[in-house]
Amino acid sequence: MRENQTEAQPETDMRNGTSLPQRRVFVILFFLAAFTLFGTNVASAQANGEAIFDQKCASCHMASDEKSTGPGLMGVLSRIPKGDWKYKWVTNSSALIASGDAYANKIFKDYNSVAMTAQSLSNEEIDAVLAWADTGPRKKATVAGGPTGPVAAAEDTGSGDAIYIAVILLIVLILLISVLRFTRINLRNAVRERDGLDEEPAQPFFVAARRWMDENKTKVGLIGIFLVCLFVRWSWYELKDIGVYAHEVKPGVWKGYHPDQPIKFSHRIHAGDNKISCQYCHNTVEKSKTASIPSANVCMNCHKAIKSGAETGKEEIAKIYAAVGWDPEKMQYTGKEQPIQWVKVHNLADFVFFSHQQHVVVGKQECASCHGDVTKMDAVEQQRPLTMGWCVECHRTTDITKNMESNKYYERMHENLKHKYKDQTKFTVESIGGLECGRCHY
Amino acid sequence: MGNEKKYWRGIGQFADEQAYAQAHQNEFAEHVPVDQFLGDNSAMQDAGTSRRDFLKFLGFSAAAVTLAACETPVMNAIPYVVRPDEIIPGEANWYASTFFDGNDYCSVLVKTREGRPIKLEGNAMSKVTGGGVNARAHASVLSLYDSGRACGPMKRTGDKWSDPMSWTDADNAIGKALGGKTVAIVTSTITSPSTLAVIREFKAKHIVYDAISYSGIAKAHAGTFGASVIPTYHFDKADVIVSLGADFLANWLSPIEHSRQYAMGRKVSKDKMKMSRHFQFEAIMSLTGANADERFPVKPSKLGKIALEMLSGTSSDAGVKKAIDALKGAQGKALVVCGSNDPAIQRVVCEINKNLGAYESKIIDIDIPDNTHQGDDETFAKFVKEEMSGMGAVIFYGCNPAYTAPKSLGFAEKLSKVPVKISFADRADETASLCDWICPDSHYLESWNDHNPRKGEYSTQQPAIRPIFNTRQAQDTLLKWSGNNNSYYIYMQNTWKVLFNNVADHSSFWNQSVHDGIISLPTGSAPEIPAADSLAVNKPAAKPEPAKDEAPVEAPVTTGNGITLDEAKSAIAGIKEATLELVVFQSTAMGNGSQSNNPWLQEMPDPITKITWDNVVTMHPMDVKANKLFGLLEGEGEDITVRFDQMEDQLDIVTVSANGHDMKLPVWVQPGQARGTIGIAMGYGRSDSFGNTSKGVGANAFPALGMTSGKTMSYEGIEAKITPTEEKHWIACTQTHGTMMGRNEHIIQEVTIAEYVSKKGQVSESEMLHTYAGEKRAEEVNLWEDHDRPGHQWAMAIDLNACTGCGACVVSCNAENNVHVVGKDEVRRSREMHWIRIDRYYSSDTTPADSDKYGTKELYRLMESPTFDNPKVMFQPMMCQHCNHAPCETVCPVLATNHSSEGLNQMAYNRCVGTRYCANNCPYKVRRFNWFNYVGYHRPMEGINQNPGHNPNPIADDYGRMVLNPDVVVRSRGVMEKCSMCQQRIQAGKLEAKKAGKALDDGAIQTACSQSCPTNAIVFGDINDETSLIAQMLHDGRKFEVMEQVGARPSVFYMTKVWNREEEAGPEKAKGGHGEEKKEAAHH
Repeated sequence: MRENQTEAQPETDMRNGTSLPQRRVFVILFFLAAFTLFGTNVASAQANGEAIFDQKCASCHMASDEKSTGPGLMGVLSRIPKGDWKYKWVTNSSALIASGDAYANKIFKDYNSVAMTAQSLSNEEIDAVLAWADTGPRKKATVAGGPTGPVAAAEDTGSGDAIYIAVILLIVLILLISVLRFTRINLRNAVRERDGLDEEPAQPFFVAARRWMDENKTKVGLIGIFLVCLFVRWSWYELKDIGVYAHEVKPGVWKGYHPDQPIKFSHRIHAGDNKISCQYCHNTVEKSKTASIPSANVCMNCHKAIKSGAETGKEEIAKIYAAVGWDPEKMQYTGKEQPIQWVKVHNLADFVFFSHQQHVVVGKQECASCHGDVTKMDAVEQQRPLTMGWCVECHRTTDITKNMESNKYYERMHENLKHKYKDQTKFTVESIGGLECGRCHY
Repeated sequence: MGNEKKYWRGIGQFADEQAYAQAHQNEFAEHVPVDQFLGDNSAMQDAGTSRRDFLKFLGFSAAAVTLAACETPVMNAIPYVVRPDEIIPGEANWYASTFFDGNDYCSVLVKTREGRPIKLEGNAMSKVTGGGVNARAHASVLSLYDSGRACGPMKRTGDKWSDPMSWTDADNAIGKALGGKTVAIVTSTITSPSTLAVIREFKAKHIVYDAISYSGIAKAHAGTFGASVIPTYHFDKADVIVSLGADFLANWLSPIEHSRQYAMGRKVSKDKMKMSRHFQFEAIMSLTGANADERFPVKPSKLGKIALEMLSGTSSDAGVKKAIDALKGAQGKALVVCGSNDPAIQRVVCEINKNLGAYESKIIDIDIPDNTHQGDDETFAKFVKEEMSGMGAVIFYGCNPAYTAPKSLGFAEKLSKVPVKISFADRADETASLCDWICPDSHYLESWNDHNPRKGEYSTQQPAIRPIFNTRQAQDTLLKWSGNNNSYYIYMQNTWKVLFNNVADHSSFWNQSVHDGIISLPTGSAPEIPAADSLAVNKPAAKPEPAKDEAPVEAPVTTGNGITLDEAKSAIAGIKEATLELVVFQSTAMGNGSQSNNPWLQEMPDPITKITWDNVVTMHPMDVKANKLFGLLEGEGEDITVRFDQMEDQLDIVTVSANGHDMKLPVWVQPGQARGTIGIAMGYGRSDSFGNTSKGVGANAFPALGMTSGKTMSYEGIEAKITPTEEKHWIACTQTHGTMMGRNEHIIQEVTIAEYVSKKGQVSESEMLHTYAGEKRAEEVNLWEDHDRPGHQWAMAIDLNACTGCGACVVSCNAENNVHVVGKDEVRRSREMHWIRIDRYYSSDTTPADSDKYGTKELYRLMESPTFDNPKVMFQPMMCQHCNHAPCETVCPVLATNHSSEGLNQMAYNRCVGTRYCANNCPYKVRRFNWFNYVGYHRPMEGINQNPGHNPNPIADDYGRMVLNPDVVVRSRGVMEKCSMCQQRIQAGKLEAKKAGKALDDGAIQTACSQSCPTNAIVFGDINDETSLIAQMLHDGRKFEVMEQVGARPSVFYMTKVWNREEEAGPEKAKGGHGEEKKEAAHH
């Protein structure tokens, strides 16, 4: 059938000018195919070192000589052993370490005995990344306010793809519908022509659609109900997000509340670029239930000397000076203090008692577990839902057996639990009562 | 009536009547152009806004407003600009300080959060109070945030006070006014050496006046030993304690100290199977009397005679004889104390104690005098009557004579003759209202001071917050007025350099002392009283002082010679008995009334009457009947009973007249009151300007005070007359049932010491339950599986032998847990929110054993009525029992209350929907429901709330709110709440141990009630920790559970009350127990 059509194509083409629809279909199909191919080409062309670095490496490595979780990758090619070593290391560093490779073990030891996460990259890709990073230092420009963490980045491209595909599908659908419509009209006209009838008067699309809708009320009704339902469902979930600071972009990925702050303080610059430890400013996190927003005099430890910021110049730092009452000209305090009114980002309800020291000192949690990777944030953003369900989930799954073994406080409790649940090797926060109401609500 | 005259309404009507009439028909005199837009169709259609548009706008605005309202408000976080080193947000700081208001002394630790004092706890290092705190000291932290306090110095013109002015202005004006005048300063007892130095430097006549005076004791000791001192008492060393009207557990001299000592003598254990024996002779039912083994109601006028009989060793009265025999048997280990302020009676008591060897054995220690009550009535009375009106200026500091002085002194009238009158009061109280100036003193939590409560015993007072209002501590004010530019803080340090001149390093000594709050010098090495001129270091060099004839700083100068025994005897012989004798006593909550405006204290139920928000006339039922008052009585003739179930009714108001002072107060039927006496608590009936909380509460009894023959204030035995009125008064009483209805065994178990010894300590009884497998002890029968307790299992033990019922725990709990104050009207509806209550039970003459004598209804009626002549009294602190099989948990439809793996009955407020099923199902009735949002609750109830429209809840006040504990949620309307066993403290204590990486120490976690208990009656701990004190108490032979037969398995258990009294014969013996009841019945 199809063969027939294609074969017939030149004929009809030559026979009369009414073969337009077929031609269009062909053209469209061609373009679609070309577009898809072109798309793939673009994607592969982008698989350069920089993109891979951003996606896979940037959370632990810097593209300079600065150390992070792992070594800075500037000049890396001259440091590492020649040959296949780099491929082995990147794809499975543990195996390389286990094999007793001297350099691998040295790196492993130098960086707190944390093995590099195995990456599924092809040799070409590894070459591309290292080649790109080797010639550093390179500074990464970050889009302000945009989520740029490894997880966030992955999620971003994901959602981008989805929209991309949806748009293409939509265009295809529209094209398909119009093609089919024209085909149908043409075919009908062809039939009429054959039967010696006049060509049907051409109707504008909307008139035709309306007529069709008039004729198919049931279908239209059903589709209408379906669309209304979709809309209601969508608005329901949208409405639910109102006022909730974080919402789920994709299962497990939260994005949310990042209000403007009175001072455009950037965690990315301080904690990310300059690597200031969280506890330098939030210095009561191990002593109190609150980590505490640093008092303005803490800023002055550095900003007495650093008078101009990399991105905002003197404007934002002047606000600190105004708060603490510092006259940068005369280099002295004026005594006119004005507290800074920060906007609280991570905000728990009043009826919840949450203790930072419990989680950080006893539970040995990383700040990032609840606050996300602030080193990538300019304005701090609430990345976790901070709902009770989220708390409970973590209490249900977090294995605290090691904590219990290393802390004498838990000795008796641990013995009792081991005695009672003989087969159980893993104890979670839940096992020691971490889900009980009275632990947080009193 | 034929009046044809026509009147026009105006010229218009006259001119054109028809047009006027037409116009008159119109609704509006002026033409309203409605038709311009309504009548004109085309205009309507062309209008920019159609009806549809209007609806669209309406819909859009509604939606927009709704959506905008959905956004959670933006929360700001405002950190310090410069965070003080010592403050860690979220962590409490503790400062040692001292509470002394001229009446109660207490060494305390102040808990502050982010710079706000929020809670007081006892300083265990103090040798005086030993970590105990009483209700009044506890509540003083709330008085700090009293919004009724003066905001700065004020001057009075006529009846009007000026707006608060600056201190400079006030200093200048007062400096001019004082210039060249003879000045007198009237203070309550000053225990502070530095303050005394300041007063002396001020060069004024110093009069010490205490509202509650003990000068009778000082005079008696002057007569006996030649030293005018008030000695210290050691109740722990006494085997026999006889008290003649001294309420030493709640009020007398140093109640916190005495309570601790008393409990030490009363606690029994397997190792100590003996306890002190306590006799009490008194008119009113006092807290101490309620705790006595043997109590005898006597009229106050008889006390002197009883004392004399004790001195002679013979008596015709059986009760006195019993006490005399006991005293004789405990020579050298016996103590007699007397609450009277009559030097004559005190002189006899001194003699008795001397004969008993109490001074020799140091049960009464006159070598270490009590400095906390130095008021001298004679000097004060003389000053008021003869000298005051001749003074150029009078300053009042820490005292309020217009409120507390007897009417007979005519204080107000005499004061009006003084040209310059200044008060350091923190508000326009009764005396300050008569003064020209108020120069408000800072609260003690805002001030520096030192105290010397006992010889050799010092404590410091340090500010825990900056002055909230524009107040200045009195010492600074006086220093300023004396021309000394040093701050008192510096002055105090300088004084110390002289006072403790044998200390090598003063700066570290100072730091250590302020840190500890206590300086305890070895006995006998009390510092040299600094010579006056050595203190010149404090004075500006420009004004060298001729300091020769000044009194030493520390000396409590009490003038007047002692009284001899013969004088005493003749004075006692001269005491006449009156038909009706009035006793003016301190209530446990209100004390001398200095904190009347404190809602915690107002709402704290009196330990005996259980009345809140009122003082009443306590009266014996037969006297009530004799005065033809209805009261709460039922029955005819002598056969009357007290109807406790009617306590929710209105009470009859009577007018009490004594010493020319009339008080209109409701009558309260008080079992155990001596016949022919009435009692009225002091500290009520404040002037309206004193504050909104105290406004209109009760009547002031102070003016009714008399003077004894020994020229001291007399607080009891005042001749009084009562006149019934037609008026009635609502009363808010928290316990409307007074007896245990013969269920002692289930509620409070009690034994005598003899039984305790004979049973070798195994005295607690368990209920026997009938099961399919025969009779079993209740503890062996279990409806449920036991739960897992892998970590801790919290429990609490309450030793009924140590609990005196003082109520310190109630206020402590209020402060710790943000418990709402609900006001009188709500209390009257049984909606008080206290998480811990102290049940008070009277014994009844009728027991279930009398069932054959009466019909069922009559039996229950009689059983409900306490013995009104002299009932036995029992106290039982009752809070959530944290049942391991809690009945409340099974009925909660939303699981808002459930059990933790540590044995706590948890309450999740934000989950509670307020069905109140749990409260219904609670056998202990300890759950409290938030009927209203008490934070913003205003419910004017004329005639019930004394100050209608005023919400007494501190949380409703901007200042009062600062006392809230940030670690505890403030509960809102519609949720249930109850004792959480101070979960926040448990969590904090556990966290400390976890951080230190060590097992939790026993005693590291204290609940608010257990911490504050002056007698250590409440023990909290982990029974999974075998070595803990609580685990040992669990296995004590005295341990019992309340209503064990219910099977709720409470985590709170009690220790059987042991009495040191003889077995009682007759029906008393049979009260309670089913078994015994059956036996009794068989005998009949």
